[in-house]
Amino acid sequence: MRTYEVELTIPDNTAFTALGALQRLGISSDEIRRTDIYCFDVDAAQVGALDASVRSIETIYNPNKHRLAIVTQRPAGEVWIGDRADDARRAAKTQPTMSGERNIVIAGRRLAGVRSVSRATAWRLRRGGQDVAPEVLAKATAMLLCNPAFQEVVEFET
Amino acid sequence: MSRRVAVIVFPGTNSEEETVRALSAVGLEPILVYPRTGRSALAGFDAYVLPGGFAHEDRIRAGAVAAHDPVMDAIIEAAQTGKFVIGLCNGAQMLLETGLVPGTGALRRPTAAFAPNSSGRFRSVLVHVKLAGDPARSPLTAGFEPDAVFPAWASHGEGRLAAPAQELDRIRRDAHVAFEYCDRNGRVSAAAVPNGSALACAGLMNRAGNVLALMPHPERIAWTFQQRDPAIIAAAHGAAMRALTPAGGIVFFRGLAHALAERSPRPQPQCTGGVR
Repeated sequence: MRTYEVELTIPDNTAFTALGALQRLGISSDEIRRTDIYCFDVDAAQVGALDASVRSIETIYNPNKHRLAIVTQRPAGEVWIGDRADDARRAAKTQPTMSGERNIVIAGRRLAGVRSVSRATAWRLRRGGQDVAPEVLAKATAMLLCNPAFQEVVEFET
Repeated sequence: MSRRVAVIVFPGTNSEEETVRALSAVGLEPILVYPRTGRSALAGFDAYVLPGGFAHEDRIRAGAVAAHDPVMDAIIEAAQTGKFVIGLCNGAQMLLETGLVPGTGALRRPTAAFAPNSSGRFRSVLVHVKLAGDPARSPLTAGFEPDAVFPAWASHGEGRLAAPAQELDRIRRDAHVAFEYCDRNGRVSAAAVPNGSALACAGLMNRAGNVLALMPHPERIAWTFQQRDPAIIAAAHGAAMRALTPAGGIVFFRGLAHALAERSPRPQPQCTGGVR
């Protein structure tokens, strides 16, 4: 598995709006961080090629406005919100190769050795420079950050 | 005296004008209402419409932030007293985020959603929708012919009905689907669904049938000059004023007018031709 975290280096309007909405809902927080998480199930031999590919797919990472990092475990204090396991939507298409294998294709780029990709949004709430208590983050998740009809809190194998 | 319909305008709403024109055309009195309007002022309307657009830029999820706006507290209260509430596209997304539709769970704990399209892309395409079941299921559809088909514009990136399997079973079993995607002849098929929506669902309602969430836009094809049906176009050819008469998607708004007329002893409003 190879998991990436992509964060905006310019002001994040969505995070700003989420913080305001959460404050109006009574969630005690004065700082918020939002990142996109991409988890690839990839052959170990193709990890290097995948790193290069991800850095060149602008729908994932644009160096003018994003910071990209490799994630080895979900950091404490974050909640990751992804599609429900039973939701029908797929993050990427597969296309067959000449030999009949199916590769994941993102933005027209075939990703060799990648069997699947999962996406999530990571949220972190802080107050006074400290992460909020887990129950506060859970409350924010239930009230606004996650729609249980098609989303759930996810843990990716990293 | 006309029935007053509140048309709620959030920051980012963009379909209020055509919604107002369609409501006026069926004899109703639409009033634009902004989020800072007080609760007591909002209580005085006969019905409420949440029009389409991108309220709050769809930040977090479409309709998620608007669903928690204080104006929605008044809408929820009105819906719970039995008043009619309609959501169109973004408005529909808001109604599902509030849990008013399908209304099978707690408020603001959604049990179903109009989630991202299965393609992952925004899509704008002319569709047709038909009544999903018995017109008598809801006062808002009681005036429809059983086999009524009308055109609408599906213009969204998040219009796919999504819910856990047990909830979809309950939605189907309890007849919450108000409208289905179909072809122009009324045939429901996967090919007619523009977004992968479960149950071919274009519109969903609550148990009482007074709250209805419709994803495609009937107000964007509510006048003769907007129609694509060759027969309608031919009939209006050479008659400029006829081109300005209501047609197509106006059927949906006549449903609201009919429902309001049936609710009180006031005379049934006539559909007034022309543009407001």
